[in-house]
Amino acid sequence: MVTNSRSAATGRPANPEAPGSTNCLTYQPHVDVCDHGGEVVLVADMPGAAAQGIDVSFEQGVLSVHAAVPARQLPGRPLRQEYGVGDYRRSFRLGDGFDASQIAAEYRRGVLTIRVPRLAAVRPRKVPVATA
Amino acid sequence: MPSFRAGFAHPLDELRDELDRLWSSLTAAPPLHGWGTRARGDVFPAVNVSETDDCITVEAELPGLDAGDVDVSVNGEELVLKGARPEPTAAAGSGATAAPGVPSTAAHGGEGGPTVTWHRRERGTGGFERRLMLPVTVDATRVEARLVDGVLTVICPKAAERQPHKVSVRVD
Repeated sequence: MVTNSRSAATGRPANPEAPGSTNCLTYQPHVDVCDHGGEVVLVADMPGAAAQGIDVSFEQGVLSVHAAVPARQLPGRPLRQEYGVGDYRRSFRLGDGFDASQIAAEYRRGVLTIRVPRLAAVRPRKVPVATA
Repeated sequence: MPSFRAGFAHPLDELRDELDRLWSSLTAAPPLHGWGTRARGDVFPAVNVSETDDCITVEAELPGLDAGDVDVSVNGEELVLKGARPEPTAAAGSGATAAPGVPSTAAHGGEGGPTVTWHRRERGTGGFERRLMLPVTVDATRVEARLVDGVLTVICPKAAERQPHKVSVRVD
């Protein structure tokens, strides 16, 4: 089932250092996380975010994402309001063994994709079984 | 061996976020015309609607979709948003480029491919259709829709006979 892209809101103050952020609400984006050995990939729904206002950091095994969303207001008199507009923030503990220098992030169509590669030394290795 | 735990950075953060989630169910995105107008969680996409003298504006969040993936149609006073979000690839999900050599299957790679483990699947997939009754008849021939960064905005000009007509007062 398709779901809406945000699940929670908090009334935390807007981050004045985040470019484009003028919102006081912060939402948790819905995220898919998959792991295929060599890297962990996180995909987050962040519609309306400003690409230049997305901050991804990795520190002590914790991947943190904050995306500033420029405030937008529909013209005229509101008739229906089913969702609010605010920044996105979420963090995940990945642990050690990842190559922070090779983390890559891409924002397209309102979706942020982050690839966190493992260090070569800890990547799973398939051991071939020899037959006699 | 590195460990991977799909969760929050700290147990207290996890507790705080869970409380936020519960609280937000009461406070987030308050409807302006009573709680009865709020979309249920299983209604997709959620919409915001506003009205000016000239038009009705509808906004919906559709992350991961291209303009060609969304069908917007207007019939009289009814606006229909229709489309589908495909299953994400193991590497990137919809809206992003798949990594070379990574299978597009959801559970496991093909023969010889890497094993894929999903830790979280929060982003919904599949088809959707949302029908909205607009408060006035709109001019379907002049309806415009644009999709930018996953946000769909549909501008529906009111039918001419529905627009307020200002009557000038003559001074003798």
